[in-house]
This record gives sequence, structure tokens and C-alpha cells, in this order.
Amino acid sequence: MYKRNIKSQTSSTMMYKHLKFSLYLAIFSLITISSARAQVSPDAGKELFKSYCAACHAKDMRSAATGPALGGSQQRWGDDAALYAWIRNSQALIADGHPRAVELWNQYKPTVMTAFPNLTDDEIGSMMAYINGVYDGTYGAAPVAAGEEAKGPVEKKSNLPMYVIIAVILAALALLLTKIILNLRHIVAAKEGEDYEKKTLWQIMSSKGVVTFLIFSAVILGSYTTVNNATNLGRQEGYAPDQPIKFSHETHAGLHKIDCQYCHDSARKSKHSSIPGANTCMNCHKAIKVGSKYGTAEITKIFASIGYDPTTNLYVENYESKTEEEIKAIYTKWMGDQYKVSKELADLDKEGVKLVEKQWKDIVKSLTNEQKKNIQGPIEWTRIHNLPDHVYFNHAQHVTVGKVECQTCHGPVETMEVLAQASPLSMGWCINCHRQTEVKFLDNPYYADYARYHEELASGKRSKVTVADIGGLECQKCHY
Amino acid sequence: MKQPIDNIWIGQKDLEQDIDFLKEATQEVSPSALTTGEMTEHLSGNRRDFLKFLGFGLGAATVAAGCDIPVKRAIPYVVKPEEIVPGVANYYASTFVNGGDYCSILVKTREGRPIKIEGNDLSPVTRGGTSARAQAAVLSLYDTHRISGPKLKSDKGWNDTSWEDLDKMVMTTIQSSSNIRIISNTNMSPSSNKSLADFTAKYPNAKVVTYDPVSYSAVLEANSLNFGKKALPSYHFDKANVIVSFNADFLGTWISPIEFAGDYIKNRKIDDVTKAKMSRHIQVESHMSLTGSNADNRILVKPSEQGVAIAALYNSIVGGSMSTSGLNDKAKKSLTKIAEELKAAQGAALVVSSSNVVAEQLMVNAINNALGSYGSTINMGVTSQQAQGNDADFAALVSEMKSGSVDMVIIMNANPVYDAPMASAFTEAFGKVKNKLSFNTTVDETTDKCDIIAPNHHFLESWGDVEVKQGYYTLIQPTIAPLFNTRQAELSLLKWAESASVDFVNPQPYYEYVKNNWKNTVFANQNAVSSFTTFWDSCVHDGVFNTGSVSSASFTSVNIPADYTKPSGKELEISFYETVQLGNGQYAGNPWLMEMPDPVNRTNWGNYLAVPVNFDGVSKMVGFQNLKDGELVELSIGDSKYTVPVIQQFGQMPGTVAIALGYGRTHAGITGQNVGINVNNDLTYVNGYRQNYSSNVAVSTKIGKEKDFSCVQYHHTIGVKAVDTESGKEINADEAALVFFDYFTGAKGFQGALTDRSVVYTAHVNDLKNSIEGLTKKRKHAQHLNEQQIYAGFDHNYKLGHHWGMHVDLNACIGCGACTVACMAENNVPVVGKHEVAIHHEMAWLRIDRYYYGDIESPNTIYQPMMCQHCDNAPCENVCPVNASNHSSEGLNQMAYNRCIGTRYCANNCPYKVRRFNWLDYTTADIFPGNQPKLADENIPFGADNLTRMVLNPDVTVRSRGVIEKCSFCVQRIQEGKLAAKVEGRELMDADVKTACQTSCPTGAITFGDMNNKKDMLSSKLESPLNYIALEEINVRSSVTYTMKVNNRDSALDA
Repeated sequence: MYKRNIKSQTSSTMMYKHLKFSLYLAIFSLITISSARAQVSPDAGKELFKSYCAACHAKDMRSAATGPALGGSQQRWGDDAALYAWIRNSQALIADGHPRAVELWNQYKPTVMTAFPNLTDDEIGSMMAYINGVYDGTYGAAPVAAGEEAKGPVEKKSNLPMYVIIAVILAALALLLTKIILNLRHIVAAKEGEDYEKKTLWQIMSSKGVVTFLIFSAVILGSYTTVNNATNLGRQEGYAPDQPIKFSHETHAGLHKIDCQYCHDSARKSKHSSIPGANTCMNCHKAIKVGSKYGTAEITKIFASIGYDPTTNLYVENYESKTEEEIKAIYTKWMGDQYKVSKELADLDKEGVKLVEKQWKDIVKSLTNEQKKNIQGPIEWTRIHNLPDHVYFNHAQHVTVGKVECQTCHGPVETMEVLAQASPLSMGWCINCHRQTEVKFLDNPYYADYARYHEELASGKRSKVTVADIGGLECQKCHY
Repeated sequence: MKQPIDNIWIGQKDLEQDIDFLKEATQEVSPSALTTGEMTEHLSGNRRDFLKFLGFGLGAATVAAGCDIPVKRAIPYVVKPEEIVPGVANYYASTFVNGGDYCSILVKTREGRPIKIEGNDLSPVTRGGTSARAQAAVLSLYDTHRISGPKLKSDKGWNDTSWEDLDKMVMTTIQSSSNIRIISNTNMSPSSNKSLADFTAKYPNAKVVTYDPVSYSAVLEANSLNFGKKALPSYHFDKANVIVSFNADFLGTWISPIEFAGDYIKNRKIDDVTKAKMSRHIQVESHMSLTGSNADNRILVKPSEQGVAIAALYNSIVGGSMSTSGLNDKAKKSLTKIAEELKAAQGAALVVSSSNVVAEQLMVNAINNALGSYGSTINMGVTSQQAQGNDADFAALVSEMKSGSVDMVIIMNANPVYDAPMASAFTEAFGKVKNKLSFNTTVDETTDKCDIIAPNHHFLESWGDVEVKQGYYTLIQPTIAPLFNTRQAELSLLKWAESASVDFVNPQPYYEYVKNNWKNTVFANQNAVSSFTTFWDSCVHDGVFNTGSVSSASFTSVNIPADYTKPSGKELEISFYETVQLGNGQYAGNPWLMEMPDPVNRTNWGNYLAVPVNFDGVSKMVGFQNLKDGELVELSIGDSKYTVPVIQQFGQMPGTVAIALGYGRTHAGITGQNVGINVNNDLTYVNGYRQNYSSNVAVSTKIGKEKDFSCVQYHHTIGVKAVDTESGKEINADEAALVFFDYFTGAKGFQGALTDRSVVYTAHVNDLKNSIEGLTKKRKHAQHLNEQQIYAGFDHNYKLGHHWGMHVDLNACIGCGACTVACMAENNVPVVGKHEVAIHHEMAWLRIDRYYYGDIESPNTIYQPMMCQHCDNAPCENVCPVNASNHSSEGLNQMAYNRCIGTRYCANNCPYKVRRFNWLDYTTADIFPGNQPKLADENIPFGADNLTRMVLNPDVTVRSRGVIEKCSFCVQRIQEGKLAAKVEGRELMDADVKTACQTSCPTGAITFGDMNNKKDMLSSKLESPLNYIALEEINVRSSVTYTMKVNNRDSALDA
């Protein structure tokens, strides 16, 4: 279960934060600019690694995937020139009979490593720096990526201490003033010869004034909190629940640059962007059966949902009528085999049996729930972007007509390992965008109906037509 | 006594200035509803209670706020079907068919569930029109009372069984039976009939007996005698200039109302006022039917006088001396005059009759023959299959069963225990049959008496075909996988017949059967397409195929027997009529139809005894036996006695009363059962033909008052005039709230509210020029006021982009109510039930107001569809304290449900009274999912269960308690249409946006469009000088335009 993350911020603190954030950003960008651009940097290496290597080599540099683990490869080769040559064209090196190359070829054939003849020495150096950094744990420990890191601390930094200090100072001041007033009264009373009775603390605290004040402040504070929380009810910016499959948008959209609408194909023609069916996954995963990040277990979930046997490369006949035991036999065999390959074993060892059992349990857990008892059938994802029932949103309108990038609302999905809701999806947020976004007015003959705007645009009286100008702020554009 | 008045009135309460009615007319909510009944108990409470509730509410809200947000799932397909894009609707061509009811349709499905029925433009029979029954058919798919699978009866009730066991058992029974009878209503399906033929070929001791809930036996018999064809002809009302109908409700219920309405209206619409021409329609009847209400003249005859009335016309036209004794003088005179007119219209005249007496139908045929109708307005060469029932066969079956010679009866889409002729005799005989099997989909009266249920699919789950008229084929295709463990009835028959032509292992055996049947028959009889695959694919896609086959038919004169009905001479007679909503009860289980008000008397949830109402000549309306609306009487027909509420009906002939068939069902789910009374048993017989009237009737005086009088005629009235008791001035009752009060003198009164309200305008076709002049003058004055604006500067905006508007042609509207049901289906409008309707809480966004005008004894009728007028100077908008109701730049009066806090100021300020308030949680939209009442244990509101919810339109919000709702001009369709144009990168076209009411209309009375688009169909309609805007003088600048109602009444017939 996901617990709501309630934030209450006043506009002033928001503004303050904003200011502060800009300041930080300015300072950091200055630093970035002034620092000499290194020829070999592990950061550049990371990017290169993602684009060239990560499809076949595991990201942790320790486990084997399609290709071997890269951690420590420089040591294993011992000869940078040969290693670089290998990366640029492995087959040539094998043909030359380099011993290390031949050794690797025997181990991995017939899989051929893709040739990268265009990589410069600096680029390969950067990659090696990154690989070594990840392998020995030094990369990522020190603050490296200025831009990325800048946001974190600024946003998380709380203004509470400052408020506490101000509150304490004010309280002390109030106390001091009260004391002075009391003393003055005492003095006056004494001078006038009146009998001044000093009130006890209890008397002061239970006096009408104090009680009224307390109740009054409680009501104000209570209402304020209620209103703030009520506004945020149902909003779940940052919501990143666990999904039945550890699907990585970073790998698919970022690394492999698969177009968003390849999978979410109905976004261009329907109100829903819709989650692809398992058959869409199979277009690629018939060939890619072992994941670069999570190995066999996660992709096997797709196979178990749709009924594909990766060992025989065939769809299982009458899969709907198979019992859990039969299904288990198919997929534990596959996962066991993969384990054996990765560990270079002839038979499953004890650890392997345990691992496969564990993976199977995870598959069952992911593909079944209270309503869905069978493993076969759809993968039930946890929905992240939830709009209230009274909101009508149409993807086609935004994607096809408005030509809005998916990232505008969904955030940098291509960098998200675990998908999270990037925007508040609040009405204010929608409205703001409608106010600022320009309509693709001249490209689409549909808008010919708006003759006056066309005239105004032509005469220069109007610089642009926003969504708001054609009624994009009206209730029944989204609520009906 | 006749009293012609120029006035237009709503009903007798309006004419009589009934105090309670005027009080109600002044207020948005019926005061009587708030001061009596259960509501007040809920509303009582003191300050302490209020504080308690407040405290509890706050606490509950706090607890609720602290809860976790429920995890929502997104479930994709495993293998996504290519044709489905989630969120985009697919349309499949199919056919709505039930007995003789027929409509070629498109079924709108979303994510694989049918949610709406549209008409199929490609059909030459229904031409894209629909009926209320067709519109409501989608709801019956999700009926919670549908039978879930094969069942066998035991002492304890119904036990589930499997199809295998059932088949085995039925096979044994069939093989050991010596006489099997299959009872069915009209069956227009060639493939279904083939399967029946296969069955009877295998078991020669089996016979099919067809009857209809409303009998057409005599017409069939007469045609058989005159033409040698036991079939109905095709009628062409569009080719007729003079139409005389003897009690045939051809616009509402008779044979093929969708087709006839579309034809009929072609000669009634006025497209060019300079060449205004109109057919003349004369209805001869005693009870005001839907068709009668649309007629120019009505000739009143008692039900038992129909025979002599036809004979009188026969004598004048064909010549002869049939006895006409007992026919009232006025009718006699009128019919003689009409005969001249008919003769003058030779070749363009049409006489129809619903009579179920062979002699009378023979006379009608002879009249039509003499008038040259055959070959012009009637085509016997293309016969209609829409009625096949045979009263004589059925009577023979009853005596057969009674003698005990029938071992097995199979019920196929029929409910004879309820609606058969002589239902009680049938039921008794039925009990003597050993084995009774039913294919019906719900446990109705007949199925309840059966022993085996082999439930059929719903038509939206089935394959099938229909030949509605000779050579006019349509296909039925499934739009959803069967929801329950049901099986196609035809397939069951074929299975029991062990048919060799069916491959039962095939996943869709009946599909193959229909396809093969088409290959051998329809495909083989055409030359247009040579490849069967191409032919079949296009038939499935279009849903229709016409071979254009015409058979020859020539009229043979026969001697007309003298045994036609002679007047009973009794003082009081009763007629029984089928309603547009329920037929003869076939649709009683459908909540949309049950809540749809009868177009003429505007009652729902029950049948009311229509009693005549007379004008006393001075100021009072005199009810029959002083009875008033909603009062209970004891009705005796023969030996049966019933307690029924009455409704005063204008145009009901003195000395006659009428009551609707189709109510009082005992097994029709929570909606249909025990609503109203069942009079099927009291139908009389003449020569074995069922007659829809009785002369043996008595009505008592008032014996009580109905608890919930659910008639909507006096709800939400507009333009009601009243006389202010203080000042004696005539005022508008709607604005009684605008009271004038002087603090100094204490004087009270009404502030000069305008009285001469433009609600409806009428004209005679011969006097059109003057009427248009009068209208123009009146409008000019109103438009002068309209120059003023409350939202200045907005005109500028409306000219930009779109400005939505609607045109309603009152000359085309026949009041059939298809649009009202279509609106409920499209916009998720809830059904509220009898009690709520009685206290003015009906939720329909679109109502059809009925007005009478002209002769007070035999008035003409206007049907005015009334929905939100989307005023550009909307009075509802500026009174909303939270701005929940506001105006869009496209001229839409927007309602934001989520902003609405339920003050109802807007409803109170709406001059058209079209805003509806959710008094209760009709849809359970308020309830947290976890708290939803369990289906079996608690009563949940209609439509709140998960099955019925499948019919909801996912693009329209389901409203919760405490908010106002109203017609949105189908904004979801507007947005969809705009998007389609944008995606395709083109300008918006006419066809992109059509409202639900527009597409449902069989006569094309409603046109919707963009008023800024001059190429639009709407723009051409807006040019007619007959147009006016309702209540134009109050300067609300409505976006809906109506046309003046024009009639072609022959005043000579009134004399």
C-alpha cells in the first residue's frame, strides 16, 4: 500500500525556495563552466556505456549477461592497445590470433561482439574509467554530476530551523515585554498604594484572554491545515509504486531509445495512452530473453503471462488450460538452464535450486492476486497516473494535435528506473499549461474557423494563439 | 358540446386554473412533495442534532482523509485485438428484432461492451431511425434477471444443470413424445426458420405455432383471400396525400412504426413555405393514440362502431349497401365527406385499419383497390414479414393441449401465459402438458411454468439474420461474448435434431449455419457480387442487403361477409391499446422504457384508465363521473374487477374508456412486476379473432386516491397563465415568485410578468402566410429586447470558432420518445422509480412537452422536445454562487458537477425548467466502493449493480447526490467530433457532431450543428420563416430554434 505523501507549503516558502534554488543553480553552473573540460571523464563514459555497451553487458560490471562482466577487464587484458582494438573490432583481433581474444571467442561463440570502429581513444578511456569506477565502487561516491545533484539538496532543505529561531526570538520578546508590563503595573499599583495581588501561572494560563487566544489559534491552524490537505487529497506526485515486473523505462526508452508510442501506441488516437499488451513485449523479447539488469526472472514473467516457452521458442498450446504445476515446470526449467549457463555448471547446484524457487515464487506473486488466481492472463500493473472520474483527458488531443512531448507531463521517463509520477496532475497545473501553450494554429486547417485570430496573426496584432484563447480554460473542455 | 378555442393548453388543470397546479407551476419543486411523505422525517431535526451531525461529519471526514489511497490497477490485454483501441468506440452493424419489432442498428461498443444503439443509415427500411424500444434494447443485455445458464425445475425451485445433461434429458423427452409444439412469436429470421424446419423434418410430430401479443390475423387472412398471399404488404405513407386510419397506430405501434414515421413525415414537413403542401391525415378512433394525436382530424367512434364506420366508407367509395346502423351521425357525415376527398386523391390515398375482423379488412382492401392504392401507396409485391401470428392455429393448440394430446411444448421467444389470447385458458391447458421447455432469457410468466430452461443468448450476443420484407435482409452479429452460460436457441434445436449440416465442434456453429444458409439462398439469388467472401464481408459490414425481389400480386375481389362488428349499443365501452414503451408487456422489464412517459397521457410506471373529459360550456372541465387524475376506481370488465387510477384524456370519446396493455406482469424482474394491471384476459373474441375492446365494462365512482401519481404532464410546465387573485390581473404563473411587496402600504401583487409567452405557435397550412406575418411581428418585438445583453462583448467571441445550436422541427416531431431514451443511454441519466417521479424528481434531460390546441373536444396536439436551450444570456448562470454553471465561448451552457454545491438557484431561475437535481444518490456514485450494498441482501438503486453499470457511457461522469444536471448538447460528442477533425487536419463537418437525440430520431426532427458554419445543414434550417425561439421575449437568447406547428385540419369535418 502506498501512503500519501502530504506536503504543505506556503507560497512564500515556495518563493523562497525558488529563489534559493536559482541561486544554487547559478553558482553550480558557474563552477561547471569554469572547470576545465576533462578529456577523459567517467561521466562521459557513463553515457557512452549506456548507448554502446549496456545492451549486452551488465550495468553492475560484475555479472555476465549476453557479454561478459566488464569489471576488471583492463587487468585481465593487461594491454590497453589490444583491449581498445578488441572493442573497435573484435573479429579482426580474433583472426590475428591474440590469445586473450581467442580465449574469449571460444567462451562466447557464436555470439559476436558488435564492432565500434568510430570510438576514439578518449571515449574508450572514459568508458574504462566509468567501468573501473563502478567496479571498485569509487564512481558515484563523490559528487560528480553537478547539474543532477544540484536539485536534490536544495529541494529537500527545510526552512524549519529559521522559523524556529524566529519563533523563539519572538516568544522571548513577548515574554520580556509581558514581564516589563507586569512589573510596571506592579510598580504603579505599589505607588498608588493599592494592594496588588500577583497572579499564579495557572491563573494566567486559564484566564479568558489566553484561553480565547489558544482556541482561536487552534481553529485557524486547524482550518489552514485542513484546507491545505484537502487540496492535496488524491494528488500523488512522486508516486512510484512497485510494479509486478521491474520494468525499466531507463533501459527501454533511455538506453535503447524505443519510441514511447511504439508501446503506448493508442496515445496518438485515443484518450488512453494504454499499457501495451504482452504481445507487444514479445515483439522484442522473443529474441531478448535475458535482461541486462535483472536477468531471467523479470522477462520470464512476460513469458508466463502470454504462454511462451523460451526453451523451445514456441508458444505453449492450450496454455489457458495448463495447471500451475505444468507452467512451473516450463519456466523453472528455463530459469534453471539460464542459471547453469551463467555459472557454467552442468547441473543445478543447491544455490541454483533455491534461486529458481525464489524466482518462481516471485513470478506467481506478481502475476496473481485476490481476483486473478491464474498465472496466465494479463499482467496487472499498478496505475500511477490517476485522474479523478470527473476529469476527461484525451491523449490524442495532446500528442497528435497539440504535438506535446510525452515528457512535458510525464517527466524524464527515459531516465526513470522505476517510473514515478512527475507532475502533480492538479487542475492548476493543467490550466497553467493551457495558458502558456501555443496552439499549432497555422499548421492545421481545422482552425480556419477562427478567422479573426488568423487576421490578427497576419496583421501582427497578435503574436500567438494559446490554448486558453480558443477556450482551453472552460469547464466543459475537461469536465462532462 | 363543442367549444373551439384558440388557446393552447397543457391539460384540464391548466384550463380550469387548478389552485394546486398553479402553486406547483410557480415553484421548481412541488410543494406537496415536500410537505408530505417520507421526506420530511429525514429533514426533521433540531440544533443539537445539527451539531451532532456536524461533529460526526467532521470526524468521518478526518478518518476518511487519513486513509490510504486505494491502489488502482491498469490491466492491459495479453494479446491486444487489432480492432480495439482502448478509449475509441467501435460500431458494429446488427439488427434489433423482437417478434415483429424491427430496426436495423449500429451497436456502439467500448472496450468490447455494447453501450449504445444507433440507427443504420444504410437500411432502406428504417433509414437510420430508431424507436424507444430499439434504444432501450442495450439495457436488457445487462438485465440482472437474465437466466445464468441451463436449469431444471425441482420441488425447491430451479436447479442448475449442464448443457450436456440437459441435452441428454431433452433428447430422451423428444424421442418419447408423440406430439411436440413449438410456440413462437413472429419469427422473421430465415436461418431460424430453417433450423425450425430442420427440427420438424427430423421430428415430424413437431409443429410450430405462431401467435403475436397483438394480433394481425385478420389482415393476413384478408390478404390471403384477396391476393392469395398470407402476408402484410409494404405501405408507403410518403406517397399518400390523404391518409385514413381506422384505429391503426402506425406511428407508434402498428407493424413498422419507424419506417412509417419516416415516410409519413415527408408529406408533413414544410421545407418551402411558398409551396406549402401537406397530406391530410384522418384518424378514426375512440382513444387518443400517438398517431391520432398527430392527425389533422379525428373522427370519434366507439370501438364496436369500427366495423360500421369502415362499412360506411366502403359504401361511399366502392359502392354497396353494407349495413351502417348504429354509427353515430357525426361520424357518418364526416366519413361521407372524407370519401369524396379520398376519391379525389385517387392513386395517392391510403386507408389502413388495425381491425382484427376479416370482413372489415376485406372492406379496407376493397376500398384501397377502388382508390388505386395498390401499386402506389400499397405494394403487395414486396410483402412484409412483421406479423405472422395466427389466432386460429393458436386456438387449435389450446384445445389440443387441453385434451392432453400434446406431450411437449417448446417456448421460443414468446410469453403466452401472460400475453396470449385467452391467457387463462391457455395457462390451464398448458398445465396439462407433461414437458415444457423454454428458451426465454428471463424467468417470465411462461418460463416460470416450464420444467426446463435452455436459455437463449441476448440478440447482442448472437449471430442471426432477418428478412423484414421480401428481399430486404439484415444480419445480426454479436457485439460481446455471451455474459452467461447461454446457448443460441436455434443451435439447441439443431443439436436435438442431430443436424448433419452443423459442425458442433466449431467454436461458432450457428455462425457457420447462418453463413451457409446465406450462401445457398441470399447469395445464390443475386448477381451483383461473384465472390461469396466479398459478399459476406460486405453484408456483415453494412448489416443490410437487398435483393430487390418483387413478386406479382393481383387483387381478386371476394364477397364480403356481413359478420363484421356491429355496434354494441352499450353506454360504455373500453378499448385496450398497446403502448409505444411496453408493447404488450414484452418490454416491461426494461427500466428505461418503464420510466419513459407515455407520449400521449405522459404517465409512466403503471397503466391508467383514460376517461373522457368534457367542457361544461362555461368555465369548468367535467370529468367522467367527476373523476380527477390519480383517483382510484373499480373497473369491472366482464367478471374481472380491478382497482385502477384514472387519467383524464382529452380526445377520448364520451362513452368510452381505455387502458393500456402490457402492465401487471407478475414475473418481469424488480422493474416490471406488479406495476399496473393486466387486462389481457379480458380481451374478447369474435369468430376466433382477438378483439382489443370490450363492451361489458363498468367504472365505479372514486374509491380512493393513488399513492404515487406518476404523470409528468404537470411537472416542469412553462408559459402557464393564471389570474392573480389580489389584483385580478392575468399573470404568468412561472413568475409568481416575482411578487411585488410595498413595505409602506403592505400592498402585495405581481410585478408585471409578461403573459403572452411564445412557447408554441400554430398555423393552418392554408393560412400560412398570415401566420408567418404574425410570427414575424411578434419576433421583431422580442428581438428588439434581445439587443440588450447581460454579458456584453460576448457576441464577438461566439462569432469565433464554433457556436453550437439546434433546430427542432415541430412538424416532424411525432412524439415517439426515441430521443428521450437515447438521451438517457448516452448521458448516464438515472432511473428514479415511481415514487420519485410522483414528487417531480424525474431526471430525464430531454422531455417531450405535450400541448393541445384547437377544438377542446377533439384537440390537435403539439409535441415539443424540451431540453437545455443553452441560452447566451442564461439566467441560471448568474445566480450560481459557486460559478458551477457558466458559459463557454462556443455558446454552451456548461455544468461543472464537481463545483456544484446544490443550492438549486439555477433550477429555480431556469425559464424552461430543464435543470434536474439529484435529490437522492440514484447511482450510488457517492458510496465508497467497499461499502456498496450487497446485491442480494439490500435494495440498491436501479442500475447501481456491477452488471447494469456496464451500460454506462465511460465518457460521461456519473453524477452523485446533491448536484444539478441538465442537457449538455452531448458535449462529449462535440469534443469527439472536433478532435476527429483536428486529427485529420480538416475543417469540422456536419457529420462530425450529432447529438444522441438527433441520431435516434426516425423523422429527422432534430438538427444540431455549428451556427457559424454556413455550409452546415443547420444553417439552411435556420432560414425557415416558420422558426421561432421559445420564450424569445424574455431575452435569454436561446440556442434552440423551433418551428411553428402547421396542421391541415379540415374544419368542415368539425361541424
